[in-house]
Formats: sequence, structure tokens, C-alpha cells
Amino acid sequence: MSGYVVTILITIAIYAILAHSLNIITGHAGQISLGHAAFFGIGAYTAALFYTKAGLSFWIDVPLAALVAGVVGAVLGIPCLRVRDDFLAITTMGIGFVVEAVFLYIPFFGGAMGIGGIDLPMWAGREMTKSEYLILILVVLGTLYALDYILGRSWIGLAWSSIREDEQAASALGVDIVRFKVMAFILGSALAGLAGAFYAHFLTFIMPYNFGFGQSIMILCMVVFGGIGTRWGPIVGALLLGLLPEISRPIMEYRTLLYGLLLVAMMRFQPSGLLGADSFLVVYFTKGLNRIRGGEVKA
Amino acid sequence: MRKQGLLSLVLAAVAFTMFFVGAPVAAQDTVKIGFFAPITGPAAADGMSAKNAVELGWKEVNDGGGIQGKKVDLIVYDDRLKAEEAVAIASRLMERDKVVGVVSGSYSGPTRVVAPIFQKAGMPMVAGYAVHPDVTWNPNTKTSNDFIFRNGFLGEVEGAAAAEFAVKDLKAKRMSIIFMDNDFGRSISAGFAERAIKLGAEILSKQMYKFPGEKDFRPYLTTIKEGNPDVIFAAGYYNEAASIVRQAKELGIKSQILGEEGFDSPKFLEIAGDAAEGVIIATNLDRDDPRPVVQNFLKNYRSAYGHDADMVGASSYDAFMILVSAIKKAGTDPKAIRKALLETKDYDGLTGKISRFAQGEVVKPVQIQIVKDGQFRRRAIIDNPEIITPPMKK
Amino acid sequence: MIWQQLANGISVGSVYALISLGLTMVYGILRILHVAHAGIYTLGAYVGLLSFRLVDNFWLSLFAGMVGAAVAGYLVERFLYTPILHLSRIAPLIASIGLFTAMEEAFRIVAGPHTLVYNARVGLGDLAIGSFRLTETQVLILLVSFLILLFLWLFLTRSRMGLAMRACALDLETASSFGVNVSAIIAMNFIIGSLMAGAAGVLIGVYDNQVWPTMGSIPAYKALAIVVLGGLGSIPGTVLASIIVGLSETFFIGVLSIPFPRDAVAFIAMILVLMFRPYGLLGKA
Repeated sequence: MSGYVVTILITIAIYAILAHSLNIITGHAGQISLGHAAFFGIGAYTAALFYTKAGLSFWIDVPLAALVAGVVGAVLGIPCLRVRDDFLAITTMGIGFVVEAVFLYIPFFGGAMGIGGIDLPMWAGREMTKSEYLILILVVLGTLYALDYILGRSWIGLAWSSIREDEQAASALGVDIVRFKVMAFILGSALAGLAGAFYAHFLTFIMPYNFGFGQSIMILCMVVFGGIGTRWGPIVGALLLGLLPEISRPIMEYRTLLYGLLLVAMMRFQPSGLLGADSFLVVYFTKGLNRIRGGEVKA
Repeated sequence: MRKQGLLSLVLAAVAFTMFFVGAPVAAQDTVKIGFFAPITGPAAADGMSAKNAVELGWKEVNDGGGIQGKKVDLIVYDDRLKAEEAVAIASRLMERDKVVGVVSGSYSGPTRVVAPIFQKAGMPMVAGYAVHPDVTWNPNTKTSNDFIFRNGFLGEVEGAAAAEFAVKDLKAKRMSIIFMDNDFGRSISAGFAERAIKLGAEILSKQMYKFPGEKDFRPYLTTIKEGNPDVIFAAGYYNEAASIVRQAKELGIKSQILGEEGFDSPKFLEIAGDAAEGVIIATNLDRDDPRPVVQNFLKNYRSAYGHDADMVGASSYDAFMILVSAIKKAGTDPKAIRKALLETKDYDGLTGKISRFAQGEVVKPVQIQIVKDGQFRRRAIIDNPEIITPPMKK
Repeated sequence: MIWQQLANGISVGSVYALISLGLTMVYGILRILHVAHAGIYTLGAYVGLLSFRLVDNFWLSLFAGMVGAAVAGYLVERFLYTPILHLSRIAPLIASIGLFTAMEEAFRIVAGPHTLVYNARVGLGDLAIGSFRLTETQVLILLVSFLILLFLWLFLTRSRMGLAMRACALDLETASSFGVNVSAIIAMNFIIGSLMAGAAGVLIGVYDNQVWPTMGSIPAYKALAIVVLGGLGSIPGTVLASIIVGLSETFFIGVLSIPFPRDAVAFIAMILVLMFRPYGLLGKA
């Protein structure tokens, strides 16, 4: 594969981890977040600072980034429990702005100059190639999906879906709402931090603007586009919305317009996402599969 | 669940097929030059100025017979001011389009991200106006990115030139500074303050405002008015700049307003109206420069696009022309192009005569322009080598 | 100086109020976070500017901008929101964000990426008492905001339709069972909210002398913070929150000189208030 394709695939794989992490908070536990890029940024900045200032290696700064983002997610998740629904959405958005402002205004974080010189990881005594880095991220993504599968079948997964469907009923049945909500926030934030660390080492230079409101919206769009709460939805969303800007390069001036219109059309006609229950794709695909299977039986 | 997984695979396959349909076309016998700018999204206005100006230069080159008889192929990409798109563009330009050199018509963020990529690959890039100091510098190895060149001033240089003018020419002693919170605003105001203090002036206040989005400067200016400074040094792009000078006039502020290249746009004059009269700026485009390269550009830009050129356009045009002239000299081998760029000497540029590049940074005089009768006019030229030589990074 | 800063803060606050009021009205009835409201605001500014260039009269252009915004608001309600109202809250939110992005791009493609000037003579004068001064455009903003608020208050408290609208905000289904034509009320609600957004767009266009494609991107989220601070759906709360945010931003910058971005002020205030009052200043559970 050419470096160009690998570059795009790395971006998409990082966004897939990120979308997956938001899917835990918004899809599984049903808590809308409009500030998820903040945790992506916290991970990226943690990795960048440990790498450039403390001289730690990639293999140590990446888990640290997930840890720090998870801890901050826990701290910020607790006040978020005070508010619900749309108030929560706007509160998380506010957190996003405040975190961006902290990166921008506190000189320790590099301010508007950003942080540079964050290299790709070392592997077997030399710097990894982009293809190797891609494989590493894909392995991580695969592991996360395996974990997600296990989690979905566990008590935690059931508790989350009960909170998502009806918080009061879940509480009446004895589900400890606070505990499970905070767990979703911690896990989602930690994984976003992990994605941020990969992102920082891939771009080699980060600025506060990379983690703003627009980025939060984009992550949410990926989740919703693919199918919120579905297992594969975030990957499909990241893949399609990640490829769209590249595919649409020939119509340069109109591609952002196209992006906006696509979101509108999607919500208007396929609001549950491409992989959601009543998506036209799922319906036709199931019909097709059944027909094939039916054919086999007859033969 | 399995059904979903299968469907995802099908979707991925379809998406990739679409992706690969746009496969590279067979290479023709042209000289390919890459260009990227924020053509859509929040910085589209500057992106379009840069693109328009560079396309003007491109037509001029081809009308003049191209480079060594070959036509120039300009490959234009939109980065939407996003770092990850810029990274993809960098790979695409080198691998699919096989360009021999790149021009940046974008801001610091995207340019700073692609600079190490081009440096590593040995691909020359000339940046039009991106200001981040590490575009030309690797902070890890503490070495210069010697494939990367910048046609715009470092913020420190332009800020110092403005301070030099304020103290020596305007005889100002008491100054207030208001600047935006991005890399450009910070570095230029730091350069201004440092030089002004060195020359014995006093800085009364330093205020930073949010970029983008700040429109209401009255609270800042009301504070500045209290101190009654001789000069207000304001750093910002033309939208903010116009709001600052308008609101200063509304509040009855009499201090001289001194700006920088971000003011340098016909839009500034239009939005600020009467309030722009007498405002002085430090920039790189001298509209009263009689050299044909300047006057022809101003005339051709106007007739091609129906409005006057700005600093962003002029700087990007220059960046493109600098690269073209190096290719004319050295051929299409990237290493030879870099060598030609390193050896640039007394180049007759649109934004001033470039004496040389030092660590990739341009060395040329800073232009001081004043607004008179709704036009930018020459006021002074700062060519003190102590000021215009960029500080060596180490 | 403190009086001057007070005047600065209140002018900014009344502009915030004009933008946020429409948003809070829409939320009050439909429970939608209508991000595209900021697109309607920008549309109002462009329509106003276009008609100003045609007829060269500020008041007519203000009217045109308001009407243009109202028509757009109605269309958005009818063809985008109403069909997806029954879905989870996130669908209208994403649709709204997509529409806002598309609108910003459409403005750029149609009117060009560069800033346009809205250099209108209004015909009011400056107001100066000693060193304290209100410029013509500040007087204009305060005057028009006051008139619009007065009209809104009279409409909601004194007219049958206003009563029906308040009933719908309390409980859509009950109102419907009492014979209120809910779909007409929803449409009216959008139209009034958009009229105000259009007026805000024109006023800001003249105030800054600038109209540009992404002029709505800051109001898009700042208005949300204000609306939430005031208590989602509460009209007096929104007015109060707008003035508080306008004043506190101005004092942060002008009096305390704290180097922190203006927008963060609104959000910090919002988060703090929500910790003690989870439904905002004047909101109800």
C-alpha cells in the first residue's frame, strides 16, 4: 500500500477508536456528550508532554495518556451526573471549551505554539514505519472490540442498557446508576485519551485547535452516522466520514457543503444510522441474506 | 450481530472501491508543483486569496513558456485548516501527483504539521505566510529544516520593525499592546515589546483577545484609553483589526494605531471606512514600489478577480514564484531545487528584494505603510540589518 | 470608566438576548437544541444586506432580514424537524448541526468567502454624557432589543395565541387535547424565534459593519450556553442570563484584565450555576 493510503487508514483507525470510546458513553450508557474532543486532547497532550518534556518512551506515555484522561473523565464525570439530557449535552460542550482554553492559555501546555517533535514510536531499534504503526493501531482497535464484546454480555453492559432505556426504572430495580454512569465516563474518556496519544505521535505536532468543538461534533457524527449504540457503527462511521473528504477532493469547493447535507439527509431519512435497526441497508441486507439461505435450503 | 459485521465489511469494500477509482492519471511531461490552502471552512477567505494569487502566477509562468519548455501543472488541494487533512495531502502530493516542490498557502497549523514530512522526504516547500517558527526548524534535533523556506516574516522580525518605527520615527514613549491569542499574535507582539523596551519605551498594558470570534473590543479599548498611550500596537487579521480601529474611534481614542501585515487587505479599508485613515502598519507589500513585478501583479490581480490583492495573496504568489525560479535554475531534482533556494541572492520578489534565506527564513526589508485617502501608501522602509535579519535559532 | 464598561456589557448582553431568545422558545416547545438557529441568524444578516444594497434604507432592510429569516425558520421546522420529532433527541441535534454546516458553506459559495460591509446610516445620533458615550449603533441595539422584548412580552401574556403557546410549552399533549392547533403553534413559535434571529443578524451586521459566512459559529454555541444558564425554555431566564454573561465578560476583560478567553467565561458561569441549580437560573424541573 502507498504511504498515502496508509496515512488515511491511520487517521481512520484513530477516529474509529475515538468513535468507539464515545459510543460507550453515548451509545451504551445513553449520555450525550458534545465535548468528547477534550479527552482526546487530554490524551494527546499527556503523551506529548511525557514524551517531549519527561523523555518517556512511546510505550509508557500511551498508557499514561489513557490513565490521565480516565482520571480527568472521572473527576469531570461526577459533576455531569448532576445534570441530565440536554443540560448534560451543553455541560459537556462547556467542558470542551474550558479544556481547550486551558491548553491555549496556560504556557505549560505550549499555548498557541502547540507542542512539536512527538515522533513515531521506536520498534526493534529504529523508528516504526507508517505501515507498522497502522498495524499497531489496528491491533489495539481489535482488542477493544473483543473487550466490547465481552463487556456487552456482562452485568455492566446490561446495566448500561437499562440506564439508557429508562433511568428511573433501572434505579427502581436496584441498578446503581451513579456507579455505572461514572464507569462509562471513565472508560470512554480513557479510550479517547488512548486515541489522542496515537494521534499526537502520528501528527508529531499538536495545537489546541485540533481538539475544539468541531472535532467533538465530528466524533459524534461518526457514531450517529454509523448507528448509535451498535457495535460496528462507530467503525463504519469513522471509515465513511473519514474517507469522504478524500473521495470528494475533486469537487473541492463543495465538499464541506456535501458533508453537511449528508448529515441532514441521513438524520431525515435514516436517523438510526447505517447499521441501526430500521436502516434501509440492514433491511435489504437481511432480505438478501435470507433469500440466499432460502435458496440453499431448496437446493 | 454477525449480520451487522458482514454488512460493515460490505460497506467498507464499497467505500474503498470508490476511494481507489480516483487512481493516479498517467504522468505527462509537465513540471508538477503542489499547493495547499484552506479553500473551504473557517479560513476560506484567506485560502481563496492565496489560491487566486498563485493561479495568477501559474498562468503567467505558462504564458511565458513554462519552465525549460515544459508546462507547469499546479495541483491544488483544500486542507480545511485541519492538520490530519494536511498530512494526507502531503503524502498524496508526493506519491500520487509526483510533484517536484510544494507551496503552502495555508496557516501555521497545517504548514507546521507537513514541514517535517517534506523535510524527511527531501521535498522542497516554500511557505507563503505561515508564521510558526518551527516550520523551518526541528525542535528535537535542534537543526534547521533545510528543505523548507519561508517567504513571510517571522513574527519577531515584523514586531521589532514596528517597534523600531514607533520609537525612532513616531518618537513614541508609552505604548499599549492588544493582540490575538494565536501563534501569530503572540510572536509579533512579543517581538514588538522586546524591541520597544530595549529602545527605552514603556509598555503600559498588554491584552490578549480570543481568536477567532472576538468582535467587541470596547472593554479592552476602554482600559487602554485610561492610560492614554502614544501608540497602540494592535495585532490581528483584518476583520478584528477593522473592528479595533472603528471602536477606538467611537470611544474617542486619539492614540496612533500601529498594526501589522494582518491589516494588509482592501477589506480592512472597506470595513473600517474613515476610521482607517492614518493607521500605520508593518507589512511586506509596498504598493508604491515602482518595480514592474509589483505594479503588474496589482494590476493583473485586479483585472482577473475584480478586487485588490492583499498581503496573503501577494506572499503566496511570491512563494510560488520563488520556487519556480529555483526550478528554472536547477531543473526538477528536489535536491538541486533546494540547493538553488539556499543560494537565493538578491531575488526580485513581489514582496520586496530578498537578499537571502537564513535558516530558511527570508531576509528582506519590512515595509511601513500608512492609510491615506483610503489607500495603503509608503510611509517608511525598515532595512536596518540588526532588525530584519531573523534571530538564529539554536 | 466603570459606567462605560457597564454600557459596553449591556449592549453585548442585549445582542446575546436577541439571538438566544429564539433558541429558548424553540426549546420550550419542541425540546430541540436548534444549532441551525445561528445559520438563520447569518441568513438574516445576508438578506438584510442584500436588500440594503437594493433599497438603501436601513429600516426596510431590517424588516427584510427578519422576514427572510422567518421564512427559512418555517421551512426548517416543517421539512426537517417535524418529521423527525418523534425520534431520540440526538437525531434533530445532528440534523441541526449538519444543516448549520451546509448553510455556512452555502453562504460562502453564494456570497463569496470575504467579509461584506453593511454600512448603513440609521438616522439615530450618538448619545454622550460627559465621558460616557453610547454610539449610534449601541443606541440602535438597545432600542430594538427593548422593543422586541416588549412586543414578545405583550404577545405572550396578552394574546390568545401567546396563551396557547405558553400552554404548549408546559405540555404539548394536554394543550392539544384542549383544542389548541399544535402544529400552527409550533410553526408560529419558529417564525417568531427566527424573526428575532434575523433582527439580531442585521443588527450585528451593522454594529460590526461586517457580514461573513461563518459569523454564526460563535453564537451557535454561546447562545446554547446562555439558554442553558437561564434555564432551558425560560424566556425571562434567557434575558437575565444574556445580560449576566454580557456584563461578566466585559468586566473580566476590562476591569479584572484576566487573560482568559471570553467564551470560556460563559461556560464556566454555566457549569458553576448548573452544579447548584441543575435546571439553570430560572428553569424548572
